[in-house]
Amino acid sequence: MTHEEYQEIAALDAIGAASPEEERDLREHLGACAECRRVRDEYAEAVTLLARGLEPVAPPDDLRERVVAGEQTDNVVDARRRFGGSAWWLATAAMLFLALWGWRELAMRVEREKYSTQQAEIRRLAEENARLGQRNDKLSAEMAALASRDTRQIALMGQQVAPAASARVFLEPEKRRAVVFFTNLPANAKDKSYQLWIIAGDKPRSAGVFDVVNGNATISVENLPVSTEIKALAVTLEPRGGVAQPTNTNFYVMGKAAL
Amino acid sequence: MSSSFDSTSALIPAVARGDLTAFEAAYDRYSGTLYALLLRILGNAEDAQEVLQETFVKAWTNAKTFDAVRGSEVAWLISIARSKGIDKLRSRKIRSDRENDAGREISIQSSYVDKTTGADNAILSQERIAVRAALAELPEAQRIALELAYFEGLSQSEISDRLKEPLGTVKTRMQLGMKKLRDRLQAFR
Repeated sequence: MTHEEYQEIAALDAIGAASPEEERDLREHLGACAECRRVRDEYAEAVTLLARGLEPVAPPDDLRERVVAGEQTDNVVDARRRFGGSAWWLATAAMLFLALWGWRELAMRVEREKYSTQQAEIRRLAEENARLGQRNDKLSAEMAALASRDTRQIALMGQQVAPAASARVFLEPEKRRAVVFFTNLPANAKDKSYQLWIIAGDKPRSAGVFDVVNGNATISVENLPVSTEIKALAVTLEPRGGVAQPTNTNFYVMGKAAL
Repeated sequence: MSSSFDSTSALIPAVARGDLTAFEAAYDRYSGTLYALLLRILGNAEDAQEVLQETFVKAWTNAKTFDAVRGSEVAWLISIARSKGIDKLRSRKIRSDRENDAGREISIQSSYVDKTTGADNAILSQERIAVRAALAELPEAQRIALELAYFEGLSQSEISDRLKEPLGTVKTRMQLGMKKLRDRLQAFR
């Protein structure tokens, strides 16, 4: 994986949307790469702009008292005022008592904080476990799509702009999903994405965007139109992130469904 | 552009030295922003107040881990609050409650009684306006994807399901949106 790819994961990680695998890979890389650590820190700072744009809302005043323990200090001052210099020992005793009480409160909060952190870690691990389970299910479903007796294959051939390219679509008509393997596609520029189109009806429908590394890519497509409606599949190069409808007719690979 | 966020970065290091006055100043300066964030995430005042308190307790106990080289103190505090807010959201399954309550406006008193100085408040307000202008420059699709991840803690696949968009599209939008935010960040440093 390149530094640029790690930095793309860092962008997702900063907003809490990196997958567990991506997070793990990133952590390993950051341990050895100061530049990517710097970029990760910049993304972490940048994402807080979402919060910094919110209109502030004042929390209740009593919350401030609870948080900064100002009440104890005020009580000591009040005690000193009430009893004057002749009862200085009473104010001192009150101050000591409140200081001890404050430290006890702080210690309890720290313990609650530790407990809360441990609970959060347990929840995180449980979620990661669930996500890994989901990924396993997804991979199993993809394997099933490849191995199923009902699976149909569609070959997409390289066109004029990429004659050496090709793709193979493994389509499960009943589940209305497919796995598509692309080979020998040229790498897309940073500001571009490949976009797979399904032609079914009047207008092409986007089936997803993808990047090509080392000539190859794989994507899974869900919620396909019913197989009898699919007339053809094609891939174009579009602005980064994809578009609602193709902006050009320079097809990289294309094939008729013939179902 | 100069930044008050940077110029006020001395508060947390002072908190790390046990300076209660700096801690109070940090509360007065940032609690409004953090509370607004937690209300946005959690949708109810009781939970938001509980998590805000936990946030400042963590800031007090972990202040020594703050590194001004890595980021501003407001970003450090926001990260703590957001992380705790999302943990709370998940642990109490408020998400499902929020979906049930979709469309119900949460009434929040916005009479912001600012304890920061007038000069601080003016600078913070100017920065908020600048931040909003920067956010407004994001294409809507990118902003929505980022907000779902940030304020609701949704994963890529959950956002893909919610928006009924391909996973790759959602991922690309979030990456592009984050790059733009990072570019805009230079104006606030």
